[in-house]
Amino acid sequence: MKTGMYPRIALGSIRKNGRLYIPFFAASILMVAVYYILHFLAYSGITKEYAGSSTATDMLALGTYVMAVFGTIFLFYTQSALIKGRKNEFGLYSVLGMNRHNLGRIVFFETLISLGIALAGGITAGIGLSKLAELAFSRMVLVPVNYRFSISVRSVITTVIIYSIIFFLIYLNSLRQVRFTKTIDLINADKTGEKPPKANWVTGILGVVILLAGYFIALRIKQPLSALIWFFIATILVIIGTYLVLIAGSVLLCRILQKNSRFYYRTNHFVSVSSMACRMKRNGAGLASICILLTMILVMISSTSSLYMNSEEALSNHYPNQINAHAQTYGYDKNYGDVAAGIREGIDRRVAEYGAAVTGKIYFYSYFLTGYYEKSRLDLELNPLDNVTTIDYDKVVQAYFLDIEDYNRIMGRNETLSPGEVITGTIGNVKYGDEITIGNETYNVTGKIEDSDLEAHRIITNSAISTLIIVVNDLNAAAEHYAGFRDALGEPLMCWNWDYRFDTNLDPAGQIELGKILNSYIHSELDGQKMVNYCESHEAQRGDFYSTFGGLFFLGILLSVIFLVSCVLIIYYKQISEGFEDQARFGIMQKVGMTKVDIRKSINSQMLTVFLIPIITACIHLAVVLPVIHKLLMLFGFDNMPLLIASAGICALICGIFYAGIYKVTSNAYYRIVCGTE
Amino acid sequence: MSLLEVTGVKKIYRSRRGGSSVEALKNVSFSVENGEYVAIMGESGSGKTTLLNILAALDKATSGTVILDGMNLNSIKESKVARFRRDNLGYVFQDFNLLDTFTLEDNIFLPLVLAGKEPKEMRSRLDEISAPLGIGSILKKYPYEVSGGQKQRSAVARALITRPKMILADEPTGALDSKSSDELLDLFAKVNQMGQTILMVTHSTKAASHASRVLFIKDGIIFHQIYRGNSSDTQMYQKISDTLNLLAQGGDLA
Repeated sequence: MKTGMYPRIALGSIRKNGRLYIPFFAASILMVAVYYILHFLAYSGITKEYAGSSTATDMLALGTYVMAVFGTIFLFYTQSALIKGRKNEFGLYSVLGMNRHNLGRIVFFETLISLGIALAGGITAGIGLSKLAELAFSRMVLVPVNYRFSISVRSVITTVIIYSIIFFLIYLNSLRQVRFTKTIDLINADKTGEKPPKANWVTGILGVVILLAGYFIALRIKQPLSALIWFFIATILVIIGTYLVLIAGSVLLCRILQKNSRFYYRTNHFVSVSSMACRMKRNGAGLASICILLTMILVMISSTSSLYMNSEEALSNHYPNQINAHAQTYGYDKNYGDVAAGIREGIDRRVAEYGAAVTGKIYFYSYFLTGYYEKSRLDLELNPLDNVTTIDYDKVVQAYFLDIEDYNRIMGRNETLSPGEVITGTIGNVKYGDEITIGNETYNVTGKIEDSDLEAHRIITNSAISTLIIVVNDLNAAAEHYAGFRDALGEPLMCWNWDYRFDTNLDPAGQIELGKILNSYIHSELDGQKMVNYCESHEAQRGDFYSTFGGLFFLGILLSVIFLVSCVLIIYYKQISEGFEDQARFGIMQKVGMTKVDIRKSINSQMLTVFLIPIITACIHLAVVLPVIHKLLMLFGFDNMPLLIASAGICALICGIFYAGIYKVTSNAYYRIVCGTE
Repeated sequence: MSLLEVTGVKKIYRSRRGGSSVEALKNVSFSVENGEYVAIMGESGSGKTTLLNILAALDKATSGTVILDGMNLNSIKESKVARFRRDNLGYVFQDFNLLDTFTLEDNIFLPLVLAGKEPKEMRSRLDEISAPLGIGSILKKYPYEVSGGQKQRSAVARALITRPKMILADEPTGALDSKSSDELLDLFAKVNQMGQTILMVTHSTKAASHASRVLFIKDGIIFHQIYRGNSSDTQMYQKISDTLNLLAQGGDLA
């Protein structure tokens, strides 16, 4: 009889606090379901048999860890919000004679019930949705779809274990909260008054300055390489700035609004502005966290979706032709040209044996150097390790030397050059006049290659840093000048680079097969010479590209959904707990003569601000970082700004719509609380 | 015609499932003249708070009529009630009911803001009353920064600033120490002398002794009333005391 009491009390209080518990259950069910799905896809081996999908499954495996960590943090947060809302109840129990031990038991059963609901609901939903997720995933990473339905016992067990641990931690935490509070505090938990915060000019202005500095840095980034470093700094500045601005700046704004009596003394503004002024200090941090989380979602989903939609483009960028052979090595050797010619012949012979007809042949070799470009001169001797702090990564440039013979063949031209004369072309941000100096040699620029020609012939593909193309009359003679330069590690600075690409009349399967034959041939020839080399078919690489980008996108979607739901739930709990605090306040206002319509209006305006602040700030952040993301994505071979903007816009819109729905639900719940109409 | 006329008011609370019902007010009739200072006395559970809620249009009578300045409270639409209260009544509560997110000044302005008045007019109305109430120097402070007496005076200012037809006070001295209570009661007397009608609910003999008339309510009916006539506060106190003693002994005054 006595043992049955605690579960009954626990069940009863969960039922009574439905408004608090239902969202918590919904969120934890979702978390469990997503965890199960991720684990299922990553470990059940469904996708293992297909080549190229390993990258994607690795990513999902990583995703399960992210989910476990995030789930812990988030469930911790919501649970403490739950306990806070119920301190009164615990206070009453202790007045009635329950000791801490008894309260602990109630909490234990509550956690147990929550765990049961979360696991039962989550695993059921997870199993139900796993097939759907698998189909979507297979489609995205271009793996053949299978229609067998399966349940992974291993995934179920892992999910149960992980979430039992998480809930156990939660139990310990709530136990701590109940144990270390005095009875009188439990009873009066709600009533502890708070001073309205003073406007803090220093912090507010500092926040704005830091935020703007972050924006400025982000907008100044021009090159993908510098993007990596500066983006990190900008991100940190923006995060700090967001926190300061939302915590101090918003109080400041409210105070300024209060000074303007024509604005302030209006029914709609009066109540919301003053209660916001009091709340912002506490809420600022929460809103800032939500804002950062939203920004993360938007950045994550817009970049992964763009990458995914751009897979084909990236693939063509890396492997422009059906068959692409490539070799690369350090240093200078005048025999490299002969080696390349020999390999080319060997490839041609094997293609002919295979019975394929070749079209669109492009072959050339080049030497390239990387240096620090300033005032029309590429400095090859700057040691980057000694100048880490002063180096401007926008000025790191690579120079490709090409022979006029190769150039004429590829471009279909018939140019001639005398020694010391060059034809140049650029990719990215490199400026020069009639003369250009590479190391210690100065060349006269007699012609320029149009950007469109470079683009069309894809001489240099996939370059993340600014590139200078220099066509000389004798490549070996030019390269000899630079053979002696060494980099900071003592390796030859110069790199030899060979490409041979062509299309065939084969079907995709034939292309893949031919690619394999040629790949083993080129490896057998060049591996002994310490050359990086490969021969890949466009078709065979497609799986790899889609697997990588599709896997990223899929993970991006799942994590975004989880993050978004969490954001929304954080807001929901904040508003609900505020609703309980405001109950008395709105009661007073009604007695003083506030109509229900006024209450509704004032709730709406307050709620709208609370909801809009994070999403608007997040959108501004997104707009500012979009160019930087574009630069960063160039490292993945992505260069499609309109697509990025479009997907960012769509993501923001979807978030917004989802958000609006939750806003409606929350403000209704809030209204019901303050007006006491059930 | 009287400012307030209460005729045959009855209030029955039913439990939600429709089972038992409690008759909080049985049959209450009285009237209040313009400029009068009326105290209603009764013990806990006598129905005085129910009565006050009905007078403030916070609650509706089951039967009977309440007419304030010619308007029947029962016939006011739900949507107009808050407005009616704002325009015609000033309410002073036992626990002040000041909003902790507002300065005292903004608390006082609240009903005017709700009524959509201009800041300039709000300011001039406040200037009129802040000096007599002795709150001129604390207007910019927040409720948590001032004493109970100062809070209650601010609450009185909030009630007065709408220039209401009648002030309803619910145990206004209930949460005050004796010195603050005296000050507040003096203030009420002063406000009353300026022509303001006041209706106060209390169970403090001291508070009631300042009124010009005292109504006694017990078990849901008006049981007895005392007029001040020419008596001083002390004599009035004695009269009330005697009445209460009789009531407590179960005596019949009627």
